[in-house]
Amino acid sequence: MSKVIAVISGKGGVGKTTTTANIGLGIAMQMKQCVVVDFDIGQRNLDMILGLENRVVYDMVQVMDGEAALDQALIRSKANRNLHFLPASQTKDKSVLESAKIKQLLDELKKKFEYVILDAPAGIESGFEHTIEFADSAIVVVNPEVSSIRDSDRAIGILDSKSQLVKDGKEVEKKLIINRFDPDMVEKGEMLDSDDILEILGIELLGIVPEDKGVIDASNQGQPIIMNEKSQAGKAYKRISKRICGNKTPIVKPKASKGGIMGRLKGIFS
Amino acid sequence: MFGWFKRKKSAATAKERLQIAIMSDRASSDYPFMEDLKRDIIEVIKKYKKVSNVEIKKASEKDINAISIDVELE
Repeated sequence: MSKVIAVISGKGGVGKTTTTANIGLGIAMQMKQCVVVDFDIGQRNLDMILGLENRVVYDMVQVMDGEAALDQALIRSKANRNLHFLPASQTKDKSVLESAKIKQLLDELKKKFEYVILDAPAGIESGFEHTIEFADSAIVVVNPEVSSIRDSDRAIGILDSKSQLVKDGKEVEKKLIINRFDPDMVEKGEMLDSDDILEILGIELLGIVPEDKGVIDASNQGQPIIMNEKSQAGKAYKRISKRICGNKTPIVKPKASKGGIMGRLKGIFS
Repeated sequence: MFGWFKRKKSAATAKERLQIAIMSDRASSDYPFMEDLKRDIIEVIKKYKKVSNVEIKKASEKDINAISIDVELE
């Protein structure tokens, strides 16, 4: 059975779109048919991260309004044939979204794909509410930083009250990805540890992605970092994608670098 | 010099501050059904007396969650 997963964060700039692109590609690498949909109407970005910006002809709003067929708007990824992409409209604004049309679009996508991944807009306004409305589960992306964590809790609160599953008396599954985790800072006590974040938010962990300078280099080229076999962030996304596909891949916590003057100093004083 | 090593780590401060902020955010957010409830209350009381305003407030303290309902009659 197909699954609709919304990728949400509350605060912007935490790596939501990067995460969507990487897990979309990661799921496709697991030989599953996957589509990633950009729900950030008016601020299209997923096309750039996936390196597909030159291939966009029609967008999801045109599909919902019957101006284009779904097959005309879907773009197949160059990196993996199992991955398709449905772009957001760049010219319209969020007010064009309507529940009935979204449900119809998602039902159509579910017939074609095993995994339907929705990249939610930042914030907790109507565009966000429409993204989570018909999702079966949500992936919450946070940075280990106070404003991101607080905003994500607000987004989770809205998910728990406005999703159709919750209105039907069921529960919407949600899991956490901690992005841009810096183990050296955590060891120095300058960054919240993953256990603390899980305790504060009270949700289950899906994975930890370490801070990795290669992420910017990857988006410069439109090649998600998961394609880089050596990258730590890429490896983390690969493990996360396997877990999404039901694999029992263990969660790996990024380790602090050994040595260095701070490390040795800490050794003396602790 | 040793004061630097004794200083409280900022991660611990962040955790404390977040726990308090999030607790207060959660307590002050409305239940999703409040607008519907308000409409229903007006419908029920209207059978007996005209209602000019209904105010519903959420209150949370420790383990107890409550709502208070104020009905203003015409």
